[in-house]
Amino acid sequence: MAKPTVVVVGADKGGVGKTTVARTLLDYFTAHHVPTRAFDTESPKGTLRRFHPDISEIVDATSVSDQMRIFDTLSITDASVTVIDVRAGLLSPTLRSLRDIGFLDAVKKGQLTLVIFHILGSSIASLNEIEETSSFAADARYFLVKNFINNTSFFEWDQATHASYFRKFKDAVEISIPKLNEMAFEQVELASVPFLTFVANKGLKGEAANYSFVLRGYVRHWLGNVWAEYDRVKLNEIVSSGGLATSGPRVQVVSRS
Amino acid sequence: MAQPAPLYIVASPRPRIGKTLVARLLLEFLSDNGRPLVGYDINPREPALAERFPKLVWPVDIGETRGQMELFDRLIAGTASTQLIDLGYGPFDQFFAVMREIGFVQEARRRGIEPTVLFVADPSGATVRCYAELQRGLAAIFVPVYNESVSLLFAKEDFPPSRAAHSVICIPRLSPLVRGVIDRPNFSFNAYMAKQSGGPTEVHQWIGNVYAEFRDFELRLLMSRLGSSLSGAPAPARKSKDRRAR
Repeated sequence: MAKPTVVVVGADKGGVGKTTVARTLLDYFTAHHVPTRAFDTESPKGTLRRFHPDISEIVDATSVSDQMRIFDTLSITDASVTVIDVRAGLLSPTLRSLRDIGFLDAVKKGQLTLVIFHILGSSIASLNEIEETSSFAADARYFLVKNFINNTSFFEWDQATHASYFRKFKDAVEISIPKLNEMAFEQVELASVPFLTFVANKGLKGEAANYSFVLRGYVRHWLGNVWAEYDRVKLNEIVSSGGLATSGPRVQVVSRS
Repeated sequence: MAQPAPLYIVASPRPRIGKTLVARLLLEFLSDNGRPLVGYDINPREPALAERFPKLVWPVDIGETRGQMELFDRLIAGTASTQLIDLGYGPFDQFFAVMREIGFVQEARRRGIEPTVLFVADPSGATVRCYAELQRGLAAIFVPVYNESVSLLFAKEDFPPSRAAHSVICIPRLSPLVRGVIDRPNFSFNAYMAKQSGGPTEVHQWIGNVYAEFRDFELRLLMSRLGSSLSGAPAPARKSKDRRAR
């Protein structure tokens, strides 16, 4: 059996589309028949839970009792993947507490797989955060995600600065989330269903819905492109055959322009 | 077997080569084929077809997502009608890009709608390349339209139809006289054909020739559809025999 995988999705600041990425991941694992559960740390609101209510719980990642709810259950849950949507700004603190509870040691010993999706903002501060978070991520699969979904013009500042930061983290792999048609995005928001359900023209309880064919087409096309990125970094292999993930060769930084 | 609902897309990447005239002729030709008929005019700057047929043809601007929804969501629901699009050269690229991205042709086919591109050809190299590229990227039926008034040159091998049997639709050359008559704002081909005062004229003849081309074209579509459904038939029969043998 595959060893349990924890996927941490986080960002240093809000509004960079972190939950959107978490949603595409849940859809990806659903499509690959990987049993998945999710924790939404945006208590008490819980955006992720709004879209995936049956597999998501709202937790406070800084409270010890909630940490127990997440990590003490890893070996007994049916889910082989646990996705944690970490509230904006709490990525480093969360990774720090993961180290403190011995979780990172377990990752080092190969008992668990840790995958970090670090959603980048478009500022230098964001790059400084990479430095901080990556120090916890020595044994994790560390992905830097450029999210173009909210039309951020990314890293238009100095290419040399950009390159110098990225050179430091040879183990980090870049992922680009392409832009989704605004109206399509908005309609999925309104529908409050997973992207995959929207594409299938269904409601949250599986009932037939009546979404625009054009918008569904846009979402399907976009989701396909996002998943192609996940396939490119072999995400499915990482979570299904955890053993290879930490010992196998690391993928070089690939930048898609 | 249920007949698929036709969706004709009259298109060309170049301006002023008779697209709207072809759309006009086809629209009137199709108006008595028994199915409800709906037209869409995608020429945001000059929706000439919509102005001529205000009750039958909707002007649509696909520059914005909202307009794309207006068009494609209605097209995909139009399983009981004959639909016709007059696609201007401006939105040409975007139209087919959106169509590809949202997977329109596959879904239309699944619902029993048959998208057919009537590509008004011209001899320029860019148009020939555009036709080839479009045909590669889109699973729709392609039928070239040769408008004799545009050029005397037409190299059939430059514009191969999706199936050889679909051939070409030829719009015969317009004399200045005929053009003068049919360009009148309220001119209707069908009304003109119905009224016989003064006997058959050059205009009658021209319209008659065009309609004959359209009838041939519809027949060829039908034949190739029948042909493919007949040649497709033995396969399931063989399969069921195998099952029985086991």
